[in-house]
Amino acid sequence: MRVEGVGPRGRPGGLKGALAGWMMRSLPAVFRVLRAVSPVLRIGDTVVVTRYDDVREVFLNDDAFAVPYARKLDVIMGGQPFFLGMRDTSDYRRDTAAMRTVVRSDDLPALAAEAGRLAAEAVRAGGGRIEVVNDLVREVTFAVLGRYFGVSDPPDGDLRIWASRLFEFQFADPGDDPDLRAEVDAIAPALRAHIQGLIEARRASGAFGDDVLGRCLDRQSRGDPGFSDGQIRAALTGFVVGGPPQPPMVVPQALEQLLRRPAELEGARKAALAGDDALLLGYVLEAMRFDPLAPTLPRVAVRDELIAAGSRRATNVREGATLLVAFSSAMMDERRVPDPRRFNPRRLAHEYMHFGHGLHTCFGLQINHAILPMMLKPLLERRGLRRAPGPDGHLRKRGAFAERLEVVYDPE
Amino acid sequence: MQSVLSTVFEVQPDSKDMLVARIVQLRQDEESLVGPQGEKYGRLKVRVPLLHFMALSVFEDDRYDPILVIETNFDGPPGPFWAQLEAAVGEDLRAILRFCERPSGPTGALFDRVVAADSRQPIAPLLEGHSFQPLIVHLGNRGLDRDRILREADLFHAARTILADADRTAPNPYRSATSATAIHADLRGALLASFPWLDEPAPARIPAHENRSDWLRLGGFLALLLLALSLPGVLLGLMLRPWWVAVLLSLVAAAAFAASIRDLGDLLRFFGTSDGAAPADARPRPTAGSRLVTALKGSAGVVAVIGVYLAIPSAAAAAVVAPLTGAGFGDIFRASAQVLGAGLASVPASALAILWWLRRLEARDASHDHPRLDEGKLRAMMEREDHIAQNHMGSLVLVKPGVLRAVLLRVGLRGLGLVLRVTEWARRGYLGSMRTIHFAHWALIDNGGRLMFFSNFDGSWESYLDDFIEKAHSGLTLAWGNATGFPPARFLLLDGATQGRKFKAWARHSMTVSLFWYSAYKDYTVDQIERHARVADGLRRRSLTKEEGTLWARDL
Repeated sequence: MRVEGVGPRGRPGGLKGALAGWMMRSLPAVFRVLRAVSPVLRIGDTVVVTRYDDVREVFLNDDAFAVPYARKLDVIMGGQPFFLGMRDTSDYRRDTAAMRTVVRSDDLPALAAEAGRLAAEAVRAGGGRIEVVNDLVREVTFAVLGRYFGVSDPPDGDLRIWASRLFEFQFADPGDDPDLRAEVDAIAPALRAHIQGLIEARRASGAFGDDVLGRCLDRQSRGDPGFSDGQIRAALTGFVVGGPPQPPMVVPQALEQLLRRPAELEGARKAALAGDDALLLGYVLEAMRFDPLAPTLPRVAVRDELIAAGSRRATNVREGATLLVAFSSAMMDERRVPDPRRFNPRRLAHEYMHFGHGLHTCFGLQINHAILPMMLKPLLERRGLRRAPGPDGHLRKRGAFAERLEVVYDPE
Repeated sequence: MQSVLSTVFEVQPDSKDMLVARIVQLRQDEESLVGPQGEKYGRLKVRVPLLHFMALSVFEDDRYDPILVIETNFDGPPGPFWAQLEAAVGEDLRAILRFCERPSGPTGALFDRVVAADSRQPIAPLLEGHSFQPLIVHLGNRGLDRDRILREADLFHAARTILADADRTAPNPYRSATSATAIHADLRGALLASFPWLDEPAPARIPAHENRSDWLRLGGFLALLLLALSLPGVLLGLMLRPWWVAVLLSLVAAAAFAASIRDLGDLLRFFGTSDGAAPADARPRPTAGSRLVTALKGSAGVVAVIGVYLAIPSAAAAAVVAPLTGAGFGDIFRASAQVLGAGLASVPASALAILWWLRRLEARDASHDHPRLDEGKLRAMMEREDHIAQNHMGSLVLVKPGVLRAVLLRVGLRGLGLVLRVTEWARRGYLGSMRTIHFAHWALIDNGGRLMFFSNFDGSWESYLDDFIEKAHSGLTLAWGNATGFPPARFLLLDGATQGRKFKAWARHSMTVSLFWYSAYKDYTVDQIERHARVADGLRRRSLTKEEGTLWARDL
């Protein structure tokens, strides 16, 4: 089934869209120049940080450089605090510790298996041709994670649309688009009400079940801290908004990078056929390095602070300044990453920052590591995997968001 | 490309014991973190794949605060290596640095941030900022990166396993093979599936650009040396008539020659036989004809170099000065060539004068024949030795005072280092005729006040020093002869390290305990690694000639 319009609204098409696309494609070259010429670039109240060392330093110094997510999170959560928007406080530690008791590492094998099974079904159903962004990755991700979180589709809406719109509002709407805000003002309360309804229905059923929602309610029943209805609702909302919208961006982007490199595509295929999931993850992460989720992540200086102390590029950042932390540039910095322009699926973990770094490293990092390669695996296992003819066979984006990529393969 | 760096921090004197305890704890932690094959130091092996050897040592000296030295031998440029090291043991190193003194230089502010309580400041920039390249490096297996060493060792063992024939009840096909080339073909066929890289060409051990760079740097060094030695002649040539210059230079040369004549014969004899230092298998015995050809080529080369040396600067000077002064190009060219020629003529006089000055200093040098060894420290050093096929040595000594020593030490070590980069036998891992050193280096610290030496070598310390004394004493004397207490030397090359007992006592006294020492391939000697490489190189080729096969099979 092809589903249109479930992705983020993205940026407009036409000339403006083409220009935006060209700018996005030019960023790696721009960052390369900046790393050499002006590694910490200050433009007014905005500071762009491009070198590996400085990017790590900013991410790790969360005392001085905080995440700017709380304002929009308040809109999404209806004022209920969520740890993504917090600083390193006791509330943050309590909430993340609480959620780690219900989002557990021993769930990963089952999640990976489920993602692989559903992806294989989708590939089989495709019969030799599949659209990767929506029909494969978005379908599988929402099915696997929705079930895992215990958050089903709302009766009056589509969870994929709701989550994607809220994701865009939270992470990819620097200009505060009023049309998007209008949608969010309708979607956010509806999603909260939906999740609250799920909480109450599950509690009333008397059987908690072994998903994240059920485990939260079990903890709540035992009086554990961090599991009030508001906290459970915020966590589930945060997971749904922050989690499933991302694989439909990065997995097609990774596949596009592999399709551009026949030797690496063949290597990934061999890893898939050999069942070497660790190496397959290496191929996916490395492919993502050439087209990551976003070029930068934002931070806000909450006090005056010095970056790169003791070096010639040492820069004072004033309180209130916005930092654009170019983690995509850091992963290409030859000062710390060996031979960064070479595709190497056996890189070490510290050479990647796909999931952020420091305090706000993606909460679902391990889940992503488990399921991302499994969604490509059934496709890679097929003989004759190649681009679909015509423009559909090349990844199309709207702004930062993957929109469409079709591939063909030999049917069974 | 392999890199060798030293990273030095001064230690807070009151915290020295705690620092030592923390380093020992790191060692114990790393030993307990086993790798994929159950080997110790698994974390470093997996997470720092660029690393060959690493040591952490603390040197104590009555005249200075203790210093912490992190010695690192690794592949490639430093940046990625420091990132790997930080990712693996960054927090341990941060804890260790907390016992060190704040550097007074520009890294002081960064140091404060790194060692602050609960700091998460990246540590790699600080380590990088405090590391420096040595004056001279010797590499045992140049051009072999760590992964290649391990990969080729695995291949060698796999080949040996096949050759050993696990099924002893059946005939061994390799014993009945008719020729080495047949064994090669069979082995290659059997190993290719497990070692698919055998189908790829071996990366060049010394790429063309690295070779060019080595020769260019040596050429630049020799040009600067020539310029420095010819400076007195150039200055005199600008001030005096040529015949006065000739007289003065001859007088200086004669005086210096006369003053040093007793020892000069030994020096000339040394250079006459110094090629004996090369390993036997690295030097084909020359015939009379080939000697003549070599001599003619050498002479022609010298004449050509002198011609270029005189012509290019003279032409450049004439091209600039002639239009400005209105003088003829030819006149300026001739005058410039005359001055440069006077400079060249002064080279022997300058060299003799320096030798004479050096001999005067050497005649008055004090040596340290019976250094007092701390029994406890000696025991601690020996407890850390001879656990594996390799050993480690770290030494720190004071440099003799005076401007001549300062210059000779730098010029001598730098020049020797550049020669080692281009000499065929040194490129193959030989130092003299010994090939037991994986990585060794000398580096100056404290503005040239102290000289550090580190070595990762095969066999015991005693046999290593014996090798040095017998096979590489002149190079060793050149490197260490400017250190206080070194056994008496002549012309920085003669005697010195040949005085075995004194040299060993002096060397042992200069050493410290290797508190932490890591080797990425602890079971392999330099020779064994080269053997693995030869076997792998042979197996990379689809076929060998009969002669190549016979030579190749000797290594199996």
